[in-house]
Amino acid sequence: MTATLPAADVGMRFALSDDQRLIVQHVRDYCRAEIAPRAAEYDRSGEFPRGQLRGLAELGLMGATLPEAWDGAGLDSVTYALCLEEIAAADASVAVIVSVQNGLPEQMLLRYGTDAQRERYLRPLARGEHIGAFCLTESGAGSDAANLQMRAERDGDAWVLSGAKAWITSGGQADTYLVMARTGGPGARGVSCFIVEKDRPGLSFGRPEEKMGLHAAHTTTVTFDGVRVPAENLVGEEGQGLIIALASLDAGRIGIAMQAIGIARAALEHAARYAAEREQFGKKLREFEGVSFKVARMAARIEAARLVALKAAWLKDQGQPYGKEASIAKLLASEAAVDVTRDAIQIFGGNGYSREYPVERLYRDAKVTEIYEGTSEIQQLVISRAVFAEYSD
Amino acid sequence: MKILTLVRQVPDAEARVKISGGQVDLEGATLVMDGMDEYGVEEALRLREGGAAVEEIVALATGPKRVEDALRTALAMGVDRAIHVETDQALDPIALSRVVAQVAQAEGVSLILVGGQEADWDSQALGAATAERLGWPQLTWTNELALEGDTLTGRHDVDDGNESFRVPLPAVVTTQQGLNEPRYPTLPNIMKAKKKELRKDTLDAYGAAPTVRVVGSDIQTRARLNKMIDGKDPQAAAAELLDLLRNEAKVIA
Ligand SMILES: Cc1cc2nc3c(=O)[nH]c(=O)nc-3n(C[C@H](O)[C@H](O)[C@H](O)COP(=O)(O)OP(=O)(O)OC[C@H]3O[C@@H](n4cnc5c(N)ncnc54)[C@H](O)[C@@H]3O)c2cc1C
Repeated sequence: MTATLPAADVGMRFALSDDQRLIVQHVRDYCRAEIAPRAAEYDRSGEFPRGQLRGLAELGLMGATLPEAWDGAGLDSVTYALCLEEIAAADASVAVIVSVQNGLPEQMLLRYGTDAQRERYLRPLARGEHIGAFCLTESGAGSDAANLQMRAERDGDAWVLSGAKAWITSGGQADTYLVMARTGGPGARGVSCFIVEKDRPGLSFGRPEEKMGLHAAHTTTVTFDGVRVPAENLVGEEGQGLIIALASLDAGRIGIAMQAIGIARAALEHAARYAAEREQFGKKLREFEGVSFKVARMAARIEAARLVALKAAWLKDQGQPYGKEASIAKLLASEAAVDVTRDAIQIFGGNGYSREYPVERLYRDAKVTEIYEGTSEIQQLVISRAVFAEYSD
Repeated sequence: MKILTLVRQVPDAEARVKISGGQVDLEGATLVMDGMDEYGVEEALRLREGGAAVEEIVALATGPKRVEDALRTALAMGVDRAIHVETDQALDPIALSRVVAQVAQAEGVSLILVGGQEADWDSQALGAATAERLGWPQLTWTNELALEGDTLTGRHDVDDGNESFRVPLPAVVTTQQGLNEPRYPTLPNIMKAKKKELRKDTLDAYGAAPTVRVVGSDIQTRARLNKMIDGKDPQAAAAELLDLLRNEAKVIA
């Protein structure tokens, strides 16, 4: 028996508990009423969605899975994953900011931070008063994160950080940056993790990248010009930084998978409605097999990806390893999102190519899910390594 | 003092309802707390948060088991406990007022908040009927409320504007849009709501049988006239359109 058949007290059960159902329904209603109606406007203006994040913070979604003792909402990973789908179905830009906040800085501080660090940095993140950012990627180190060059030098009871990060979600908007920098020799073991507050002298931000999609989620370079932080800003042990970052990325990938699924579901909903109304050759589009079978495949891809993502979330809740499942979910969900949104445009015909309709935005927003938090190729690397490890004896 | 707020569960405004067997079929429709009742729950919470000596806020609902969801929403918003009079019978407003009045007396409440209008029946009788049974004053269509001791003050709409009022409790108040902006429950409060008391009651105890019986239902459909205006002469076409809008459709003056 391989690791893909873990045993649990309860066998397979796909129903949500009452709490889960009420919460997801509530978040769906909220997102439909408050988030979705403004998504197109934010996409056009590229304004950072502060108000939207504040509203979600009031519900508890900026610290969704953190324990209430740390001002979180105390949700399990499955419920949180379904909430992310709802947010993403309404606005994918908002969803990625929420996913980064919950999945990366908060998880890193919860799992590896000291109580003093949690008190000071985790609480305001959990309450959504602060926005968090995760700084791993550099212009020369993307997929090959272990090769990052940014340095942190010890100077008395402080660390001095020098170098630049690239592609940082919420750069310039975030208050708390979790930064991976080299404190030792080359390779993964030479990297440590630091907390850097926005107002530290020497910290600066590039202009938001002009991206294909996710316009409201700002992405910038972050430059550290001899930024001094006190020694207590080190998270975990010296040399543990990459382990901390990569462990959080496992959870983050479930988040991105759910973001992709949310985007895809929105596209499916729009396509199904449109196909039921639009007529050509005297028939509704959905009466053409060429259209209805496309819709069937779209639904099938979404359902399959969602099940794997929820399984990864469930494994996480059970305290079981879930890295492989998280990577499978991210791979399947992001590919499904790109294909489903492209098919939705096809079903909309010329209207699909127009900004008057939502599906072109969904397509633009979907593409990046195959790239960030590990490209599809990197997911395949992770999955194949796990498979080979399972069959190595 | 205690406040009683009535909660009704109705189809979501965007839900597509079906008719089967002459009755509205809610199978598959999204059901929510009546928006009018959300104003009532929110106002009760605000009166307490505003410093009034409100000991307890109780939510009351009648209806089938599913109505629990609406009560849970009220509990998640901040109501202290809930009473569910479980029945599959649809109660008309007059029958319902019998339940509301009796619960109000049994619970010793001094303020009752009900929706000014019901989203499904579209009736405005519940507040008035409840006040009549209890012999309490009623303030309808309120858009501002404040409590000081046992005195309720506020403003409400009347036919030709609005007036300010002052009334000693007990009283029945009906809500309307604009009274407040109802809060969304937080996720932890949704989970905690499950631990709050939700008492079940049977309808028998209240002797509140509906006297109105629904014998049939129809979905209102609007027939399209598909009237075409010949556009060859734009001036004449515009004039004809104006005439139709003014005299036939009566949508412009
Ligand atoms: C909108 C956006 C937001 C982002 N937010 C953040 C953030 O908040 N924090 C952060 O740290 N980073 C962030 N990133 C960076 C993101 O994680 C990287 O872009 C991603 O890891 C890929 O790195 P790269 O861009 O350098 O591509 P590269 O690593 O240069 O990859 C280029 C191509 O080569 C392929 N490739 C590379 N190595 C291999 C291999 N071994 N086998 C097969 N194929 C390979 C890749 O899959 C890809 O197709 C963000 C990126 C974007 C676009």
